[in-house]
Amino acid sequence: MSNLRKVILVVGLLFIAIQFIQPAHNKNEQALPTDFAKIYQLPANVERILQNACYDCHSNNTSYPWYSNIQPMASMMARHIKNGKEKLNFSDFGSNSPRKQISKLKEIANQIKDDEMPISSYKAMHKKANLTKEEKMLIMDWMNKTADNLSAEN
Amino acid sequence: MKNIFFGFVIGATTLAACNDSNNKVAENKNDNRDTAQVKAQAGSSTATTATVAEVKGTTSIKEIVTTYLQLKNAFTKDNSNDAASAGTSLQTAFKNFDKIALTAPQEKLFEEVADDASEHAEHIGKNGGNIVHQREHFIMLSKDMADLIKTLGNGGQTLYKDFCPMANDGKGAIWISETKDIKNPYLGKAMPTCGTLKEEIK
Ligand code: HEC
Ligand SMILES: [Cu+2]
Repeated sequence: MSNLRKVILVVGLLFIAIQFIQPAHNKNEQALPTDFAKIYQLPANVERILQNACYDCHSNNTSYPWYSNIQPMASMMARHIKNGKEKLNFSDFGSNSPRKQISKLKEIANQIKDDEMPISSYKAMHKKANLTKEEKMLIMDWMNKTADNLSAEN
Repeated sequence: MKNIFFGFVIGATTLAACNDSNNKVAENKNDNRDTAQVKAQAGSSTATTATVAEVKGTTSIKEIVTTYLQLKNAFTKDNSNDAASAGTSLQTAFKNFDKIALTAPQEKLFEEVADDASEHAEHIGKNGGNIVHQREHFIMLSKDMADLIKTLGNGGQTLYKDFCPMANDGKGAIWISETKDIKNPYLGKAMPTCGTLKEEIK
């Protein structure tokens, strides 16, 4: 066997080997009483945008396309979900104090305004996560309005 | 073509490997924490000096205020890196706060504020170089600080609550200052004197 072939073989085997590393899936269908959609009056269009663009990394329910089971994408996704949920988990939003809910609502509006979220590598793979200007305005307005109402109550 | 394939696979392997080791480090950290807790519990009857110090805490409202003011002053100078290091110090000051002298309602408010404020401080600390994002967190942090000072006092120095209507995309924002003159932390050198004195906190 030529050297080149050996290298291809080794690399190929490595590629197969890493496929056995499969991070546990983030999937829990049961909605908590602290779910974002349960604690706020969430308009259907706002909920749909959040589901399409944010819930994969910021909820207890990721929808996994086929390629997300192939390494290294699977590990990258798992890392995004772990870090993302630490900062913001829509499935358990109500477990935050009102003060923290207000902060998170404003942070969501800020991240969308600054085009920081959704993460750009994710947008490249998910067409629906590329929000239009109108969709962005809708989310930002709703988040800011909800934060203001909550501030007035507390 | 072959090179591209190699590159991809090698990159893939490294990524998977890196990710794996990261997780291990995180797990180890958790393990350590667990052991520390177990030790603390086991040692509670023969309370060691270390555990006592941990319970008692080492910082007071004065340190929290001073560190916040350092952070504020870094923003008035548009200095993102100084803001980052002050942010990290502020996070530590919250973590090491001595709650022993607090009444129950004071402690409740402190816990709620600290939970929110330390996350803002942490993110200011981690975002040196991105002053826009740091200032977004500073708006919310300043609100937390105003509420904290209202309940726990000013830590022995006269403070001023200022308001700038142009900050926060025209929605306005407050901050706490140690000087009577306005020095705006949101607009920095671009508009250093925007704002008005709202309240003197003696
Ligand atoms: C591909 C995964 C992914 C998607 C999709 C995603 N996020 Fe994130 N998000 C993350 C990660 C990872 C972090 C933590 C980043 C950090 O700590 O720097 C994060 C952090 C955040 C934060 C905290 C920001 C801060 O620093 O103050 C907010 C708010 C947020 N995301 C909102 C959203 C919103 C709203 C959407 C949908 C429009 C969204 N994210 C989509 C992964 C994602
Ligand atoms: Cu942040």
